Amino acid sequence: MAKNKIQAKILRFDPDKDEKSYFQDYTIETDRSVTIHELLTMIRRDLDGTLAFRTYKCYKGMCQTCVVKLDGVVVKSCATQVMPDTEIRLEPAGGGDVIRDLVVDFKAM
Amino acid sequence: MEVQRLKTDVVVIGGGGAACRAAIEAAVIGSDVVMLDKGRPGRSGATPCALWSIQAPFGPRGRDERDTPQQFFEDMVKAGHFIGDQNIVEVVAFNACDRILDMERYGVHFKKEDDGRFYQTPMPGQTYPRSCFMIENGQHMSTILAKEVTRHDNIKVYKDFFAYWLLKSRGSVVGVVGIDMINGQIIVINAKSTIVATGGYTSLWGFSDNPPTLTGDGNAMAYRAGADLVDLEFNQYYGTDVIWPPSVRGSVVLYELMIDEFADGEITDKDGVPIINKPLPIRDEAIKTIFNVIKAGRGTPHGGVYFDTTKSPKGEDAVREVFKTMTPKHYQFLIDAAGLDLAKTPLEVAPASHYQCGGIYINEKGQTTINGLYSCGEAAGNFQGANRLAGSALCDTQTTGAAAGGTAARDCAKRDLIPVDQKDLNSAIEMITRITKNKSNKIKPLVVKEGILKIMDECIAPYRNEEGMLKGLSNLQDIKKDLENLYAPDINKYNLELSEAIEAKLMIETAELTFGSALFRKESRGHHNRTDYPVEDDKNWRCHTIVKDKNGKPDYSKRDVIYTLLKPQDVK
Repeated sequence: MAKNKIQAKILRFDPDKDEKSYFQDYTIETDRSVTIHELLTMIRRDLDGTLAFRTYKCYKGMCQTCVVKLDGVVVKSCATQVMPDTEIRLEPAGGGDVIRDLVVDFKAM
Repeated sequence: MEVQRLKTDVVVIGGGGAACRAAIEAAVIGSDVVMLDKGRPGRSGATPCALWSIQAPFGPRGRDERDTPQQFFEDMVKAGHFIGDQNIVEVVAFNACDRILDMERYGVHFKKEDDGRFYQTPMPGQTYPRSCFMIENGQHMSTILAKEVTRHDNIKVYKDFFAYWLLKSRGSVVGVVGIDMINGQIIVINAKSTIVATGGYTSLWGFSDNPPTLTGDGNAMAYRAGADLVDLEFNQYYGTDVIWPPSVRGSVVLYELMIDEFADGEITDKDGVPIINKPLPIRDEAIKTIFNVIKAGRGTPHGGVYFDTTKSPKGEDAVREVFKTMTPKHYQFLIDAAGLDLAKTPLEVAPASHYQCGGIYINEKGQTTINGLYSCGEAAGNFQGANRLAGSALCDTQTTGAAAGGTAARDCAKRDLIPVDQKDLNSAIEMITRITKNKSNKIKPLVVKEGILKIMDECIAPYRNEEGMLKGLSNLQDIKKDLENLYAPDINKYNLELSEAIEAKLMIETAELTFGSALFRKESRGHHNRTDYPVEDDKNWRCHTIVKDKNGKPDYSKRDVIYTLLKPQDVK
């Protein structure tokens, strides 16, 4: 069965080796809507183990440690769904220095 | 990799409720404290996932004047099937009110009656309604505790810090080694007292309602350091966690909310027939009923039962109001992440891994069997017994946390700092370099971890038997071979692959010990249900299961439970 695709552009940056950040493209096959957190886990598991993001889950969209910027808007990755057959852009949420990729050293926590 | 060394009086491993409370207590007494949080302070551990309920017998200052610490003690002992050490249960029951008043002083908001008494809700197993109500639930409690930690200049907090090795020297634990994930540095903390407050190991199971970080690192580390672990077979499941859809799998919905005072709904089989009678039973009994219904083929399409409030005589709006008041974030999360309105849609739920009654063996002061090593909260093991009451987990974090923190600080005055054994430290560092430097390694840590979770889900669910567990153990041995070939990139900053590789090594240890303990106990009791030994056997098994390292192999034995105020023969 042909699967639908989610195209994700993700902003990557490792301060140890990159002079500046850059977008990397990933394509994930899925037939159902997935949360951004699920999507990132799929990428890390099946496509690219070096992608860094916060993997904590509190199961109530409350801890805020998984926040990212989806198409320019800060959202909780665990509680925000992405539909199949869409293109999205993910960037770090801000609120502190980027440790690596989507992981931020949040000043407020 | 850079290695940084520091010295302190007390090091606390963990960042949840117990860790924060232990750090605060030690700091108040005057110790220099280092606290190591695997995530962000106030946002990590199991505490933020908790709901409103924290037990304390306020009696006349609460909902029912008849309630007393003695009654709390008795309820806890009975719910634990007389396996909890009563010297520690006393610490919990008799200090609960004071510790909650501490929390209120720190800034935690509790719901109150108009005349100022604590608003308290009834929960199964409580003789009188005893659960104090935290507005905004456990997340609020953890944020406030983390804030209180920052008020003490003598507590230094490391965020995003992965601790993985307890340092041993001259027979004592002398600190801990870990990775500062923010910059990739290895940090060696040489301490007079080391407190393990790393929580449970619920996330050894794939279907769990706890954060994935709760992998039992502290238990595995303590075992490797020679400490006794206790009752690892009492793995508490929670009856009603969402099983479908995947985006919210593991999210907890409370069966305790089904009483008529709240939502007045039902847990039902696939045909809508209620399966749990009211008054609601305590957790181990509720889970048995749910499992039996699923096993009998009366389960929902995805292998659960229905959590159904749609036929409540209260009506949809009133039910929604209950969810919004009692568990506001959970209610909203299901809407955001899956489009599910709990008040309008029956949810498919099933028992998921929820809490560990077992853990590191401690005494009433929080001391372990190894000099210099302390434990508290869910990481510690011998006070819940075979089952835990609702509202006990948070209460234990504060009561045992304060006890362990206080003892660790006071013991500092009695001992000098024992220097780190360089050979031991070298082994700790080698554990990392073997993963990052070996370019021929191929296996992804995440895949190995998923393998462990699958084995636990399949072979050591609440219903277990020798055949299944031996198969599980043998499958674990296969995975163990992969541990030598784990690959992680040589990245300094936030190297999740590296921390997961080490995590996997610690997880395998805890998983094996859990299997071993469950095989050792040849009876059924509380959350340990052996289909091949279905009877609770007080004559032979009303005792602890102890496991400790003996020349590189786990050694299992029985140990008497400590009874103080209530002996089993006094009841019935």
